[in-house]
Amino acid sequence: MSYAELWASMHDDLLQAAWATLRLALGAIAVGVALGLLLAIVRIGSRGFAGRVARIYIEVFRGTPALVQLFLVYFGFVTIGIRFDSYQAAVLGLGMNAAAYFAEIFRAGIQAVPRGQSEAAFSIGMTGSAAMRWVVLPQAIRLVLAPSGNVAIALLKDTSVASLIAAPDLMLRAQDLSSQYFMPFEIYVTVGAFYFVLCYPLSRLMRHIERRHPARG
Amino acid sequence: MALLNAWAHSLHFLPYFLRVLCVSAITTVVLTACAFWMAFVLGFVLALMRLSRHAAFRAIASVYLELFRNVPLLTQLFLLYFGLERIGLTLPAFVAATLGFGLNGAAMLSEVFRSSIVGIDRGQGEAALALGMTWPMALATVVLPQSMRIALPALANFGIGLLKDTSLASAVAVPELMFRAKMLVSETYQTNLIYLIVAAIYLLLSLVLSRVSAATEHGLGKRRAALS
Repeated sequence: MSYAELWASMHDDLLQAAWATLRLALGAIAVGVALGLLLAIVRIGSRGFAGRVARIYIEVFRGTPALVQLFLVYFGFVTIGIRFDSYQAAVLGLGMNAAAYFAEIFRAGIQAVPRGQSEAAFSIGMTGSAAMRWVVLPQAIRLVLAPSGNVAIALLKDTSVASLIAAPDLMLRAQDLSSQYFMPFEIYVTVGAFYFVLCYPLSRLMRHIERRHPARG
Repeated sequence: MALLNAWAHSLHFLPYFLRVLCVSAITTVVLTACAFWMAFVLGFVLALMRLSRHAAFRAIASVYLELFRNVPLLTQLFLLYFGLERIGLTLPAFVAATLGFGLNGAAMLSEVFRSSIVGIDRGQGEAALALGMTWPMALATVVLPQSMRIALPALANFGIGLLKDTSLASAVAVPELMFRAKMLVSETYQTNLIYLIVAAIYLLLSLVLSRVSAATEHGLGKRRAALS
């Protein structure tokens, strides 16, 4: 079988799988950003129990491999009666993992906004949450844009790990195709090119943003 | 009550799990160390290429960097292990994994080295050249010792990331921590307990790494303070 024939018979499958990879990444980014923001705010705002829980969460999720977390969510939760399909487990597992990284970025970004800003907001009568929502967060967003973009790109690549719990993405499709056509070299090079096409423009964009808004403080 | 009984039953396996997993953690550490040194050496060469006067060297290094940074590690590992085997180059799993993590890590470390070399004041290198040192000599004795100090935190971060990433080697059948854990699961079905122990071992190892690097940084800081 020549490469042209191989390409003709697999490109539909691969395009579909690339779309699945993108959806998986977007889902995990959504979970990661939402949970990460919550963790960051709790970590900054609470000195008590909640703050400690957030800190331990971040330490544990950053100190262990995403693969182990995925296996626990997918194979482990079933044994205590919580069942996810592989796609849900991948979104949840990768999202919970990314949340720990997003949380640290958001925390640094929020803390980099000068204290005077929230003090000024309080002095004109805003409540804590209003000051956060209208004064601090809009300024923090500019600071966290480039680093969170880099985490998002890393996450897009890490979705390949989800193939190991059989989530339907590019890598899983590549494994299926390899066992179907016995041409793993050609197939993995092609799949690598797919990931490259997805990631390269994004990483160029992030470098552009980094240059335009260099991180301060 | 049933859940409690189930846990009591799993605890009975605990010594066996701990023994097997701690032994396989050694493979994880060895794999991490081998890949780290390969990434270190190759990353350094790439950094020098990126700082070279010759456009060809710079171009080769940039292409290498972009390729390895924008393709997932798992894809690279599969290509090295399953792909190369198919075209007649069979690598043992451990070698393929070391090569994969090393080649990929080199791309990341070259950025670390490059920025830490650029971060040293130009005057340092120029002063060394003015003293009659050759460029390689100035680099080795004046610039690098200072830039390594800058690079240390990033090197430690890379090491911790690498340690966790070696879990992917289980997918190409390297008998490391995660691989053994999967085998234990299919042997005893104690999924939660086994993966929690695995998570604890990774956490412990990465905490040890970050403590060691913090202590080294602290030590270097002290020595520097004593010198100035």
